[in-house]
Amino acid sequence: MMLAYLTKYKELMYFLVHKELRIRYRNSLFGFFWTLLEPLGLMVIYTLVFGYLVNLNKGLPEGAYPLYVLSGLIPWTFFNNSVRKGTKALSSNASLIKKVYFPREIFPLTMLISNLVNFIPAFGLIMVMAVVTQQSIQWDQLALLPGIILIQSGFTLGIALLVSVLNVYYRDVEFIVNLLMRAWMYLCPIIYPVKMLFSTDADPIVQQFADLYFLNPMAVIISLYHGIFFPGQGVPAHPTIPGFWVIYTVLVTVILFLGAWYLFRKMNRRVGEVI
Amino acid sequence: MEAIVVENLTKHFRKAYDKTLKGFFISLAKGEKRYKEFTALQDVSFKVKQGESYAIIGKNGAGKSTLFKVLSGIIYPDSGRVEMNGKVAPLIELSAGLSRDLTGAENIRLNCAIFGLSKKRIDEVFDKIVAFSELEEFIHTPVKFYSSGMKARLGFSIAIHIDADIILIDEVLAVGDKDFKKKCYAKMEELRQSGKTLVVVSHSLKPLRKICDRALILDKGKVLDIGEINEMIDKYQEDKKPKKKKKGA
Ligand SMILES: Nc1ncnc2c1ncn2[C@@H]1O[C@H](COP(=O)(O)OP(=O)(O)OP(=O)(O)O)[C@@H](O)[C@H]1O
Ligand SMILES: [Mg+2]
Repeated sequence: MMLAYLTKYKELMYFLVHKELRIRYRNSLFGFFWTLLEPLGLMVIYTLVFGYLVNLNKGLPEGAYPLYVLSGLIPWTFFNNSVRKGTKALSSNASLIKKVYFPREIFPLTMLISNLVNFIPAFGLIMVMAVVTQQSIQWDQLALLPGIILIQSGFTLGIALLVSVLNVYYRDVEFIVNLLMRAWMYLCPIIYPVKMLFSTDADPIVQQFADLYFLNPMAVIISLYHGIFFPGQGVPAHPTIPGFWVIYTVLVTVILFLGAWYLFRKMNRRVGEVI
Repeated sequence: MEAIVVENLTKHFRKAYDKTLKGFFISLAKGEKRYKEFTALQDVSFKVKQGESYAIIGKNGAGKSTLFKVLSGIIYPDSGRVEMNGKVAPLIELSAGLSRDLTGAENIRLNCAIFGLSKKRIDEVFDKIVAFSELEEFIHTPVKFYSSGMKARLGFSIAIHIDADIILIDEVLAVGDKDFKKKCYAKMEELRQSGKTLVVVSHSLKPLRKICDRALILDKGKVLDIGEINEMIDKYQEDKKPKKKKKGA
């Protein structure tokens, strides 16, 4: 069902993605590098604050903290931007939605695609950083990158579909989403090494909840990216089932996506009149 | 062959009190009904033949734009059946499907893409659309700086060039200047000759007599009558004079 209109509306999606990217890059190569400045700037800030002041770099190789931050931050930014922009994807196109009909899934979908297009060169930046800071790259993990991106995209699109249509009905969804995304970021291993939670000198309360940590699919996904550069910081093995957390995340993604698709379809029926 | 078949169409609108989650929880806590219903279309049935020119007339708030939105799939009916045989180009209310922040040129491409035109076809019709709208000078200006007449020109020009079989025109001609109106009427006549189906909503009844074959009178969401255009317009104008019904608050 999805592929059928993907081909029918490919011109429309191309137009919308192109428009998104052009706004971001302002038609220039400099504009493109400008977008890479944001994660680099955040990396410097986090390294100064959390790497040196708070010493969150325990268990990481010497001088690897900036790479650790960057390799979590860039996938997170992909998720964060897609969801935040996805929230407004329908409501900001009200003038169009009120006057013509076409599949409205296209709006959250183009948000995802344009952020994906941004993500790929940004991932190149992580690779450059790994070379610059002379960290080893786990090539077998890197080979799984397309799969990791696919899982992340599916999960992201599921959430974006849900929040985009909810935001049409209830405008304060946007604020709640912004708040929740901030909290969610701290529930992912971005500024702290994930192994810190499982070490014996962690706070007893943290140790107690550490087993639940990977119930958060984004924690698993970010750890999959970390696994490419830091073999010790990847997704932990499960005592009995190999690849348990990855299988879990794929399942959650599939269920979330189908549920979101169904709800989107259902709520879409009144979008044309309430928007 | 019928181009449009509508059977027993009914549409209720919910008048939402508050479009926020806060409002949702407040009314949930108070245990009140969150919306009251309003019947915008009630048991509407009609058919439009292929190649026919059809008018829908009625007072403000009669449900004409709502009917067009249901016909073009923008809103879903609560019950009844809608059958559209062919590709529909809706021109609903003044701004049509124009995106405010995009330029005229971008809006042309966007709309053509929405209606499924290929890149090649878009390039073919692009110049024709610009030429018909006579907006060459402003084509790279964002649409938010257009006057209402300019928007109507752009909307109309796009709608007639996207290879649609059924064209729904809602009050778009009201703001065009005299020359453009004339051009539009000529174009509509031409489209009709070439076998396209036109459905027109307008409050200026005089031109309808020339363009349209049949008409439907809509009154507070109900079909009052369907028939030959001149008869219907006479009837509508007669109805309007003697009894002035008060609208409920
Ligand atoms: N999205 C909506 N939500 C709630 N009520 C609506 C909505 N759209 C229209 N209505 C109501 O439905 C009724 C019919 O509106 P509609 O726009 O179809 O009238 P119309 O016949 O096009 O009038 P006009 O001649 O002024 O264009 C109005 O009372 C209007 O308030
Ligand atoms: Mg109207």
